[in-house]
Amino acid sequence: MNKTLRKSFEFSSLREVGIFIAFFVILAILMILSPNAFAKPANLVNILKQASINGILATGMMFVIISGGIDLSVGSIVALTGVIAATFAHPGEYPLIVPIVLSVVIGAAVGLLNGVSVAYGNIPPFIVTLGTMTIVRGVALIAAKGQPVFNVTKLFEGIAGGFVFNTIPHLVVYFVVITLVCAFIITRTVFGRRVYAVGGNETAARVSGINVDWIKIAVYTLSGFLAGIAGLLLASRLVSGNPTAGQAYELDAIAAVIIGGVSMAGGAGKWYGTVIGALLIAVIGNGLDILNVSSHFQLIIKGSIIIIAVLLDMKGKGKQ
Amino acid sequence: MKTGKLVTRMLIGLLVIIMIAGCTAQPTAAPAEPAAKVQKYGLFMSHMTNAFTIEMSDAVKAKAAELGVELTVYDGGQDAAKQVSQVETAVTQGITGIVIEPVSVDGIVPAIEAATKAGIPVVVVNQKISKPEAASAFVGVSNVDGGVMEMKTAAEAIGGKGNVAFLLGPMGSDAQLGRTEGYYNVLKDYPDIKVVFEQTANWKTDEALKLVENWLQTGTEINAIVANNDGMALGALKAVEDAKLLDKIKIYGLDATPDALAAVKDGRMAATVSQSTTAQGATAMETVVKLVKGEKVDPEILVSFTLITIENVGEYLK
Amino acid sequence: MDEPTSAITEKEVKTLFEQIDRLRKQNVAIIYISHKMDEIFKIADRISVLRDGNYIGTFPANEIDNDKLIKMMVGREIKEFIPKTDAPIGEVVLEVNNLCRGKHFQNVSFKLHKGEILGIAGLVGAGRSELAECIFGITRPSSGEVIIRNKKTNIRHPKDAIRNRVALITEDRKFTGLNLKSTVKTNITIVGLDELSRLGVINESKERRVADKFIDQLKIKTNSRNTMISSLSGGNQQKVVLSKWLQTTPEIIIMDEPTRGIDVGAKRDIYLLMGELVKAGKALIMISSEIPEIMGLSDRILVLAAGRLTGEINRPDFTQETIMRFASDFSSGNRI
Repeated sequence: MNKTLRKSFEFSSLREVGIFIAFFVILAILMILSPNAFAKPANLVNILKQASINGILATGMMFVIISGGIDLSVGSIVALTGVIAATFAHPGEYPLIVPIVLSVVIGAAVGLLNGVSVAYGNIPPFIVTLGTMTIVRGVALIAAKGQPVFNVTKLFEGIAGGFVFNTIPHLVVYFVVITLVCAFIITRTVFGRRVYAVGGNETAARVSGINVDWIKIAVYTLSGFLAGIAGLLLASRLVSGNPTAGQAYELDAIAAVIIGGVSMAGGAGKWYGTVIGALLIAVIGNGLDILNVSSHFQLIIKGSIIIIAVLLDMKGKGKQ
Repeated sequence: MKTGKLVTRMLIGLLVIIMIAGCTAQPTAAPAEPAAKVQKYGLFMSHMTNAFTIEMSDAVKAKAAELGVELTVYDGGQDAAKQVSQVETAVTQGITGIVIEPVSVDGIVPAIEAATKAGIPVVVVNQKISKPEAASAFVGVSNVDGGVMEMKTAAEAIGGKGNVAFLLGPMGSDAQLGRTEGYYNVLKDYPDIKVVFEQTANWKTDEALKLVENWLQTGTEINAIVANNDGMALGALKAVEDAKLLDKIKIYGLDATPDALAAVKDGRMAATVSQSTTAQGATAMETVVKLVKGEKVDPEILVSFTLITIENVGEYLK
Repeated sequence: MDEPTSAITEKEVKTLFEQIDRLRKQNVAIIYISHKMDEIFKIADRISVLRDGNYIGTFPANEIDNDKLIKMMVGREIKEFIPKTDAPIGEVVLEVNNLCRGKHFQNVSFKLHKGEILGIAGLVGAGRSELAECIFGITRPSSGEVIIRNKKTNIRHPKDAIRNRVALITEDRKFTGLNLKSTVKTNITIVGLDELSRLGVINESKERRVADKFIDQLKIKTNSRNTMISSLSGGNQQKVVLSKWLQTTPEIIIMDEPTRGIDVGAKRDIYLLMGELVKAGKALIMISSEIPEIMGLSDRILVLAAGRLTGEINRPDFTQETIMRFASDFSSGNRI
């Protein structure tokens, strides 16, 4: 395991080293600009908390993008599953297991719908997930009757809000566990290898005996499943299910994946790049808030980093 | 293929004839008595995705039913252009009267002018348009008054001195501008209160949560957080509770949404302000019907805000 | 006009020739490039012949006939030595009966034996690759059957073909044979990944050993097993393709233009490998447009023309003219 862990960190391109360097440089800059607030352990935990939801979404998005597709519906799934979870988490009504199971099942169901449409309907993923994004948002608004669903149990709040050993937030634990499990799947399993193959060259993958349709269905279902988890966690964190939550979350997830070095064309990219991407976005958000920079500027900075990341990616390909 | 072309041309010709007939037929419909005409009113909401807009539209609908008139509700989906099209379409379909809660206070002006020119009364509710005289009347609250009420309560609660932080709505929106102006009006009388943070969280609970979480990391002391609306106040509340600072920081919101009222009842949120959404909606509907009947009304009808604290919250909880 | 009739119907060909006549009457000069003998003789005044980039000559159309033309087109000396391994030919492993796929190929029937190299020749567009892809499950036939080891099969996806121990090395490795975004190792093991894993988890040391084994056995020139496949030469890339199929220990191997775009040294390696495979009892189908290659290695040659099987030649009777004659025989069938 030690050797494999080392091997998985092989940098096959300058680009990948670049993202690590960029991350630490930005971290250093923020530490210098705000020595008291930014570098405190409590704040670092804060950053991890703020990276968790996007990080979980980005992990699912990573599978989809590596397979050569895209999933625009995850933000809406977060809203819908959050609303459903909160609806079934009122005190004295249902056991805690109900909102948990409903969130992931509904998330996976939407993902399954996406996957089947892409694989068998032969509709481009952008179009399919754009459609489900819109439909699911509408369903969320109807389910919540247009307003936040509140009044949830303390246990429900504790799903994301609780602590392990009184120090590590549950939210962060979920992020770490999900990331490690998905990292294992994408690097060490037959399934993970096939996802890369489908994204790298779909026809060659089919000729090699891979059932391309099933792989596609699987990655979209996984993405939906993880979005369901994210929705549940967000509702727990906000102690309410908001039908308007999650807007543009899919863009942050895609940004994390792209910044981390996964190519939009599919077939390449490392899992730890996505983690760095999600952390980078959270670091920037946190640092700029502390430095009192308005959220509008934060958008400009985030967008610029995405463009730089893509340019570096294209330049790297050019060299090959 | 030649017969096909002939048929197509005939159909187009027929269509043109029908259109000309339709256009010229309009004037003949005018002589019909107004009393026999069906009274169709329209309520145009900026969006229908939070407690405020739901409460507003429910109030208008209830009043319409009470007055015995037909009402259609249009959802503008936060899209200024969409709302303009909705109004224009309703006008051409011969709507009787309009109550509108505008998405864009500038963008909607031409459409409202066209409506009043066509003889259709327009009552603007809650958010003042940039050219108030274009509409027939305005029913609402002064956002400045709401801000004043919030800030005054907060200032007194922290003993007239200390640090406050503001959570703002979308920058440039009527509500954000008005309420924030109210805050600063009050602060003129409190030189010992300092504004340490002031950022937009775009009405969003999760944005407010992240922002306040990060503010609390800076180590700057905060005594009160005043938010332009309840959604953001609740996000701030979560962050403050997580940091176990609820006894040190008081939180204020505006809107009196059900979840905020519950928080006030539990003593977690210090106060919220009701903009008497129901009263605004009902009054707006009443006003537009009066205008259709030909009665004279004040161009600006203001409904007052109500401060809701733990003392009186019971009256407002459904 | 460069092969103007390759994608049009007979009726449209007639119209084309009427137009050509009209242009001639207007004194327009026409150069008409084609490999279809009957057309050439229908409209040409003079015929020029090119072969392997060399200019052979120009002749009045009435002074040469079909046979002479064919002789001029193929009459090259076989300079390369193609190593032919003798292997005992055993029982039938593959039987194709009346396989049809729309306009791509019709009524193709043949048998393949253990230890045999069956060459399939034909002009570009004759339907050879389509036939191979159909047998392998990439496409589905409209009618006909494929029988493997005396059992009727229903191959609907390459997965099924692989399970029946069939392998297909496709015509264009860059488009359909390799994942250019990946490494040598990953490309070698992608088909047989299940054998290298347990409960879905890949045994990485086993995978490394397998990759190294093939790199060694097939003499694949690469810096390491983790080199990106896109940086290897054509010949070495083709060896990787071969490795990935050999890992599944197939019994029937279909190779479509196996030495296209490959240097001489690698070509020789592949020819020797093919010999070893048939000696070990495998059955090979080799689709090739290189006459010396197909004549040098095959035990039998099938010829396709416009989707139909037009000839079958046994090794003692191999001549270039015979192959060419069958390949240009468009008389049978109405190809759209």
